[in-house]
Amino acid sequence: MKKKYSIFSLAKNALSGHKEWPKMWRSPEPREFYDVIIIGGGGHGLGTAYYLAKEHGLKNIAVIEKGWLGGGNTGRNTTIIRSNYLWDDSAHLYEHSLKLWENLSSELNYNVMFSQRGVMNLAHNEHDIKEIKRRVSANNLNGIDSFWLSKEEIQKKVPIMNTDNLRYPVLGASYQPRGGVARHDAIAWGFAMRADEMGVDIIQNCEAHQIRTKNGTIEGVETSKGFLRANKIGVVASGHTGVLAESAGIRLPLQSKPLQALVSEPIKPIIDTVVMSSAVHAYVSQSDKGELVIGAGTDSYNSFTQRGGFNIIEDTIRAMVELYPVFGKMKMLRQWGGIVDICPDASPIISKCDIDGLFFNCGWGTGGFKATPGSANVFAHTIAKNEPHQINSAFNLDRFASGRLVDEHGAAAVAH
Amino acid sequence: MKSINLKENQFIQFHQKISFKFDGVKYFGYKGDTIASALLRNNINLVGRSFKYHRPRGIYTCGIEEPNALVQIISEYSEPNTRATIKKIYEGMEIESQNRWPSLENDFGSINNLFSPIFSAGFYYKTFMGPHKKFWKNLYEPLIRRAAGLGKPPKDFKGISNHIHHNVDVTIIGGGLNGLLAAKSFINSNYDVLLIEFEEQLGGIINNSNKISLIDNKEPKDWLKETIQEIEESKNVKILKNTLVTTYNYINHLIAIEDRFVGSKPIEGKVNSTLHKIRTDHTILCNGHIERFLSFQNNDLPGIMLSSSFEKYICRYGIAPSKEPVIFSNNSNSNSLVYSLIKAGLKPKAYIDSRSGEKIEPNLFDLIRKNDVPLYTNSQIKGAFGSKKIEKILIEDSSGALNEIKCDQLCLSGGINPDVHLFTQSKGLLDWDEKDLTYKPSKPFQPTITLGSASGQFNFDHLNSDINDKLKNFKIKKLDVKLELNTNAKYNIEKLWEVSPQKKSLWTKSFIDLQNDVTTKDIRQAITEGFDRIEHLKRYTTNSMGTDQGKISSINALGIVSDLLDKKVNEVGTTIYRPPYAPLSFSAIAGRNCYEFYDPERKSPIHNWHLNNGAIFEDVGQWKRPWYFQINKDETMHEAVQRESKNVRENAGILDGSTLGKIEIKGEDALEFMNLIYTNSFTKMKQGSARYALMLGEDGMVKDDGIICKISDQHFIATTTTGGAATVLGCMEEYAQTEWPNLKVFMNSITEQYATFNISGPKTREIMKKAFPDINFSNEEFPFMTFQFHEFNGVPIRILRASFTGELGYEIYIPSNSALKIWEGIQSFGKEFGLAPYGTEAMHLLRAEKGYIIVGQDTDGSITPIDLGLSWMIGKSKKDFLGKRSLTRSDTVREDRKQLVGIVPSNKEDKLEEGQHIILEKEIKSPVPMLGHITSCYHSSTLGHDFALAVIKNGHSMIGTKAYASTSSMSTTGVDIVKPVFYDEDNKRLVS
Amino acid sequence: MLIINCPYCGPRDQSEFSNGGEAHVKRPDGSKEIGDREWGEYVFIRANPKGLFYERWVHTHGCRKWFNCVRDTSTDKILVTYKLDEKKPNLNNFKSVVKTPSGEPEVGSGNFTVEK
Repeated sequence: MKKKYSIFSLAKNALSGHKEWPKMWRSPEPREFYDVIIIGGGGHGLGTAYYLAKEHGLKNIAVIEKGWLGGGNTGRNTTIIRSNYLWDDSAHLYEHSLKLWENLSSELNYNVMFSQRGVMNLAHNEHDIKEIKRRVSANNLNGIDSFWLSKEEIQKKVPIMNTDNLRYPVLGASYQPRGGVARHDAIAWGFAMRADEMGVDIIQNCEAHQIRTKNGTIEGVETSKGFLRANKIGVVASGHTGVLAESAGIRLPLQSKPLQALVSEPIKPIIDTVVMSSAVHAYVSQSDKGELVIGAGTDSYNSFTQRGGFNIIEDTIRAMVELYPVFGKMKMLRQWGGIVDICPDASPIISKCDIDGLFFNCGWGTGGFKATPGSANVFAHTIAKNEPHQINSAFNLDRFASGRLVDEHGAAAVAH
Repeated sequence: MKSINLKENQFIQFHQKISFKFDGVKYFGYKGDTIASALLRNNINLVGRSFKYHRPRGIYTCGIEEPNALVQIISEYSEPNTRATIKKIYEGMEIESQNRWPSLENDFGSINNLFSPIFSAGFYYKTFMGPHKKFWKNLYEPLIRRAAGLGKPPKDFKGISNHIHHNVDVTIIGGGLNGLLAAKSFINSNYDVLLIEFEEQLGGIINNSNKISLIDNKEPKDWLKETIQEIEESKNVKILKNTLVTTYNYINHLIAIEDRFVGSKPIEGKVNSTLHKIRTDHTILCNGHIERFLSFQNNDLPGIMLSSSFEKYICRYGIAPSKEPVIFSNNSNSNSLVYSLIKAGLKPKAYIDSRSGEKIEPNLFDLIRKNDVPLYTNSQIKGAFGSKKIEKILIEDSSGALNEIKCDQLCLSGGINPDVHLFTQSKGLLDWDEKDLTYKPSKPFQPTITLGSASGQFNFDHLNSDINDKLKNFKIKKLDVKLELNTNAKYNIEKLWEVSPQKKSLWTKSFIDLQNDVTTKDIRQAITEGFDRIEHLKRYTTNSMGTDQGKISSINALGIVSDLLDKKVNEVGTTIYRPPYAPLSFSAIAGRNCYEFYDPERKSPIHNWHLNNGAIFEDVGQWKRPWYFQINKDETMHEAVQRESKNVRENAGILDGSTLGKIEIKGEDALEFMNLIYTNSFTKMKQGSARYALMLGEDGMVKDDGIICKISDQHFIATTTTGGAATVLGCMEEYAQTEWPNLKVFMNSITEQYATFNISGPKTREIMKKAFPDINFSNEEFPFMTFQFHEFNGVPIRILRASFTGELGYEIYIPSNSALKIWEGIQSFGKEFGLAPYGTEAMHLLRAEKGYIIVGQDTDGSITPIDLGLSWMIGKSKKDFLGKRSLTRSDTVREDRKQLVGIVPSNKEDKLEEGQHIILEKEIKSPVPMLGHITSCYHSSTLGHDFALAVIKNGHSMIGTKAYASTSSMSTTGVDIVKPVFYDEDNKRLVS
Repeated sequence: MLIINCPYCGPRDQSEFSNGGEAHVKRPDGSKEIGDREWGEYVFIRANPKGLFYERWVHTHGCRKWFNCVRDTSTDKILVTYKLDEKKPNLNNFKSVVKTPSGEPEVGSGNFTVEK
């Protein structure tokens, strides 16, 4: 039954002491065979299942998840959403996603709290200015809202920022008003709930061990809950995608690295905009709860421990207290790490491969959250039609042989 | 409720009075008081308002686990969210309560309580979506944001914190009984030991409770004094007090913060905190346990406190927050509170224990009987009631009868947990103890030892054997300590997580997380909705997501969930404790590497000359480079750049190029190595000649460029871009060591050793002749792209004839120490010829006129030498060099790649803008297909109009055609696509 | 924060080193013909296992020497470091704590801190 949420359903349930709410999703035992199995129950994976069911009419779908839904990078990122990317291919992909974000709460009838508070990318030297102006121009010609802000305009939007008395003064910024932040857990839960309603089996605590193939065609996947047969398998396992690909004999150009983030104690609103600075490695927004959500950098080595070095946190905080003098008296409440899978050109892979029926959606590096609905949408298309959507055709695996890369190092918030 | 000052003790002396302000009112406390103990002394129970419902909240604990009593320290740059239970007061301290408006007593936000039935777990996911999405941005979210947050933002603060590194054999965390005993065992051993205590005094439960009566037949306080003295006198044990270990990283890497101003106001300009970074071979966790609370109706009322905290106020601060508290417990840990109360001449108003009579310790029975304390066994508190503080409680006794008792204080104990926060941070595994109803450390992942209650040893009977056994691999003396206890009880507990309320209404609340206002009803709802994984539950309800990370309540939540799901707690799991243990100051983390010490500034050896001569600097990497020179205050940048560039074209200019990377390459196989690193071939190159060279990545894209001077086949000097110096050297090292270890070649950076001055312009030769009269600068003797070594006034110099401006030019390399003298010399010799310094901007303009690229500006990591029209630089006959194979991939040989071209406005009056794109349509209707972008753009005084370099699709074959350039105002300018060279195309000026 | 045992300088803090990715990857001989795909693999693809991993480090802020290392990427535990010209150690000599390809080692690593 389709769940309907509103102030009225809340009031009604309040009267019964909130005991009558339906379950968000079932906890089914896996069936023997599925048309499509999605490996990875994060936002991208659950969204893929949702769009497969909704837009492509597939019903016999499973999402298998090693731990709990949204427990990987979906629940660990700093939730920044924007589409002001440099290259056309990226811009179209992220803009597609941003447009979906804008209607997602109403589409899912679940408030993902997409808050379009604007995203700023700071320029600290002449080189930054050149890069940013080029990107703003490209965005404008692509129909993406993107502006160059002078120092004075930045000060107006973020009065607490110290633009002048610091090692690398703030010289200007790009600004995308439609960018912002969203509630990360909500998108996983929202997609999961609606996919479940359409019959998708969401199976938690089900770890994929090995993808099995025969004569270049997919057979299924060995899991901790037994062997599951499938016509098609989509792997959306972020840091672990490469490991699973390897089990099917596919080598992906991915490296899994630790990426850290932290939040401060909650305080009353102090910064309304999302501010990113790749030059000094610091990006920050303030959550609705009042915590400053701060993203740090990646470590240089591969790791699956979801831990990074403390020196990375130090670097970020040093930049923070310098950029925002009021942060001197703030405190770090929690820090954590995730495993990001990084491609050589800092762009994702949304692609089929040499094995019939095997698809990958990975390589999102440090910026996958913003793409969640868009990536899921075109990945569902790719799986259903066996060929890429126009939007993700550039993000194929062949580009590493041909050399036709989509080099987004400049646009990635964290320098890889 | 009336608190009572008890006897003085070694921590609190009544003659040392201190005044402080709370919410604008002046109060007195004593030296040694925390804000909480001082407020309790003044009978202040209402300290703050809760996060969501704005409920009145008081002081719940006496330590770092405090969820409620968070205050703003106005007198310290308005620091928010400070725990009143650990921050010490000092004379003149100003404190404010948080999250209330207009006042703590009358808080408007408490209206939320009225709507609380709707504000259930995750309510915000289910509403705020209509009638239009604009409502979220413009109405709902601003309202939510204003209501959220705890303290107000602090004021601007530039802290001074230092970082201290330690390398030790053993770190003992916690200076309580077990920590002291462990430290004592290490005295005079061969181990370097660090003992870290969070509080001002060592001693832990010896100071905080009356549990122990005698240690080695001595008064505990005397034993403590002696032991501390022994440890302090030992050479190998160092004590850090006021220091909290917040983070336990891999590998045995601990972060601890020391407060340098405990009990006094931090002094401006002094180090106010120290971050200790500790590397240790072994970590011994003696950080004790944390008492947990219990859930029942209104368990959040001011006047409710954990029982061990109450005891700590008595023993440590000499104050009983109430003369006759009611005690409610399900375990033996609160026995010593009864003892402490009676010892202080007070007694509990009632003792309520959920355990049955036979489980209650005989000692406790005797004590309670002897003192006529009303005892309720097998009983529970159904609820607490009162407005803004506790006034009465409702007890359900063993017969099921209800008893109402008036009281002004309730002390709670729901059992104790080993403080496993740090242990789980270290990735140790926990195991659920079914008897003690708590998670205990099981398998450590790192060399971690846990002792005492931190390990789950809640009794003292195996004290010696436990420590001796766990420390047996160290070469230290065995411990033999005799302990006698006041309350001779073995820890026992009966399962109780929650008492259901007597009368339920929509507004009835039993809290499970005090700070985030999570109720047990929220937990039930989350389970109903299927959030049955503990991480989901935490995120959905925000349970244990507060600044206290649920230290007194997270296990209770697990207990409730396991009961609801009918699973073992072990199967439900536990959430990961994320570092830090307690909120860690940003200033402390930043340390001294910020503000004036943030990233060192690199300066040319003649930086001061630039400073004195009107230079405006730009940051290039870490370097400060003169961007342009202002000859007077009114000169604009445009004017200066035009003047400087014109002067180079007409007379001569001098540029400080010292920041360029310089690498010296030597060795038998240096030639072969250079041939492999750069695209060019250096084999046929003559000694003493120089060559412009490109370096590619293995992907075939241009990574760096520079001039290579060949001194001999065994000796080269390469220059690199300013920003690329470290990368290029790193790349050379990598290939030399890892790919071609057979090549005998060595390289080193000589960037800082030499200053570089670039002099160029038609009059340069005259200036050089005057400056260096002994050198023959004739074209025959000193041709283009050759270099010579000379000695000038005893200084060895190297002069290279090369140019980046398109004019006749020389680069002089001078040892840094002699640079200024020679620079000044050239200036004075050049005066008559109109020589003037120029900055990077004029240099960029001049080189663009000549069509020379700047790597990183005209290239972006996606451009090959072929794209730049520099195929001639590729040593085609070479078997191999970095990136060679990539140049023949299908995408790199594509005809319509983006290629370097020149752009001029069709109408010469029109302006061009850097970063704008070249398109084919005059009208912009986005999305517009873009051919490429303008990489460099300047106004040329030589040409008399704007010109640009651009990389555009199929550029080479588009030369001679017309297109449009976009503008920042989203219109277009007609442009001509031309060859990327605007000045002296046949290099006459360079070579003559 | 790792401690890395530089074969030339001894154990030092991680912050002195830079990581160089997978070890024992031979650069194709430039004089021989190889296909786009094979070359692309060399340029872009490196092993990324969960568990035992041959990798390279360079002591950037020390002796500037490159060296090799076997590290368990599921725990970050460094099992051995060795010079470039030393023989590649056999991975069978080390115990991997990862039981399944993408499983969690038996340490509290994010999903499990409770003993199973």
